[in-house]
Amino acid sequence: MTTKPTAGITLRHLASRPEAGSFVGMIAVYVFFALMGGANFIGAPGISSVLNMSSEVGIIALSVGLLMIAGQLDMSVGSVVPASSLTVSLLAVDFGVPDILAILGGLAVGLAIGFVNGVLVSRTRIPSLIITIGTMFGVMGLTLGLTILIHGSTGVFLVPGDAAKAVFGQLIRNMFQVSILWWAVFVAVIYGLLHVSPLGNWIFALGGDKESARNAGIPTGKLTIGLYMLSGFSAAFVGVSQVMTFNAAQVAAGQTFIFNSIMCVVIGGVLLTGGAGSVLGIVLGTLTFCIVNQGIFFSGLDPNYGSIIIGALLLIAVMTNDKFRAMALALSAGRRS
Amino acid sequence: MKLSLKALATATGLSLLSGAAMAQEIVVIAGSVEDAFMDKIKKGVDDATTMVTANGGTVQFLRTQNYENFGPDLVTLINQAVAQGAKGIAIPVWVPDAQIPALKAARDAGVVIMQYNSGLPVMKDIGAINYFGSDEYAAGVGGGKYLAEHGAKHIVCHIQVPGAINLTERCKGVTDGAKEAGATVTVLETPPNLDGDVTGTAEAFKAALIGDPSIDALVSCADFGAAAAVNAVEQTGAKLQIGAFDFSPASLDRIKAGTQTMAIDQQPYLQGFLATSMLFAHLKFGTNISTNPVLTGPAIIDAANVDAVVAGAALGAR
Repeated sequence: MTTKPTAGITLRHLASRPEAGSFVGMIAVYVFFALMGGANFIGAPGISSVLNMSSEVGIIALSVGLLMIAGQLDMSVGSVVPASSLTVSLLAVDFGVPDILAILGGLAVGLAIGFVNGVLVSRTRIPSLIITIGTMFGVMGLTLGLTILIHGSTGVFLVPGDAAKAVFGQLIRNMFQVSILWWAVFVAVIYGLLHVSPLGNWIFALGGDKESARNAGIPTGKLTIGLYMLSGFSAAFVGVSQVMTFNAAQVAAGQTFIFNSIMCVVIGGVLLTGGAGSVLGIVLGTLTFCIVNQGIFFSGLDPNYGSIIIGALLLIAVMTNDKFRAMALALSAGRRS
Repeated sequence: MKLSLKALATATGLSLLSGAAMAQEIVVIAGSVEDAFMDKIKKGVDDATTMVTANGGTVQFLRTQNYENFGPDLVTLINQAVAQGAKGIAIPVWVPDAQIPALKAARDAGVVIMQYNSGLPVMKDIGAINYFGSDEYAAGVGGGKYLAEHGAKHIVCHIQVPGAINLTERCKGVTDGAKEAGATVTVLETPPNLDGDVTGTAEAFKAALIGDPSIDALVSCADFGAAAAVNAVEQTGAKLQIGAFDFSPASLDRIKAGTQTMAIDQQPYLQGFLATSMLFAHLKFGTNISTNPVLTGPAIIDAANVDAVVAGAALGAR
């Protein structure tokens, strides 16, 4: 007799979580591709494929997601990835700087670009979409120009030292990129930031209503700058991890991260207008996105159908998120009364 | 040609390299200032310009700012050349629908057209006197043959932008070239949202290699595809010959290190050099090359000649 109400509450509790939709979506695509892809997809090759891709886009999606919860966008991540990886390789190859300093240099580039974005967004009334498109182009041009000026070409080949390779670019058990562990670190830190520390409430408040947030005494300018710096840092981190994994940095890499990260975030249930979302949701959205992206190659289906599934998922996510949110609100209201 | 920029913003307009006010004898038109491939063409044009000026001619080199509004930008450059009284224009045809009418009008105004790099199938439409460039299909045949003759039995041809006609032609060529030498080819298309994503593409290759252990060679239409394939080999331990169309300094290093087998080059330096110098020689001396079109590729770069290519790259010509 005691189990029944418990089960009821658990179900209710689950359904009232805003991530419920993302979770159901992830399970659905996983089962689909597990059936289509067979042993290879269920085993280490498939798991590592999904996780390797998830780790890179996932690190960016987490901080882009925070920004979206705070009501902002960041397009510049697409140019920060190559800016960072080229900074690392130019410093290491052309200037002979030790790996660790080169890596710090790459990360500093991301923080600096984030700082510029944050200042521009918080000090002007221009939409962040436009500002970050502007910085994206600026950074892209600078990266291209400086790389050609310094290195004489648009790609740099780098053989990292053993330590740097082990920390940022090794393959664990031959298949799993070490960036998966870094993704876990990012998840833990950003989870703490959004759901444990008081900063989290500020971020939600900022996305809910900027004016009220400011009136309530939240330092919205500093918060915005901090979030953009986090986003720049995350993208730069992925740039570092790419150059260490593939031993090469190229000017024209990284553009895919812009849309891919936004899709992960939206599939993960973050409200496009800001004010709602969760780290768990973003992680689920990232996994869902990558299961479809990689599952398609194990399934033997025409990879172009993968794009259709992703497009459909995105639309379904946006449509059901609102529904789940309304349901969650109704349920918690019902519980209170 | 490589369209390296895929950004959302709208056209940012044209910036034209403003030349001297006097009439130019030859105008050479090329692609975006942001495209490294075009820099190699420019090196060829620059070197040919030395010969042209030594013979009393002038060359003006015009490039579009980017690829966002490519067709109209090219037409603007063509019209500008005609308005300046150019006697000859050397130009690739990348956007036939936009360029053909403008080039026809230029020819009717008495301008001689020399074609290079792209658009071989429409050469007759614009009435170009010759073509210096590669043929995507022929380049594919060369690459497919190379891999098959070096022992490949089952080759994957990777397309990073599904539906792109030039890439489809490349893989068609690989298929036919490999078939001649007794190998089969599977075409692997990765969706556009993985274009440039080395990790995502590497994982796609891994799935293909695990799904079909008979695969023993992979040729990618994108240079980054070679980096992805090297990673897929690290993950699976597969024995794989790796090739790619076009190349970067990173691919030259991979070929030196032995992780990449070969790259298929179309020698853009020769395209710029020959198109410019031969157009001028035609106008000034009345020369004509009896070979038509003149193919500058495929030129295969592998361990045997990579050092010479590295030396040429250091000089900006490869």
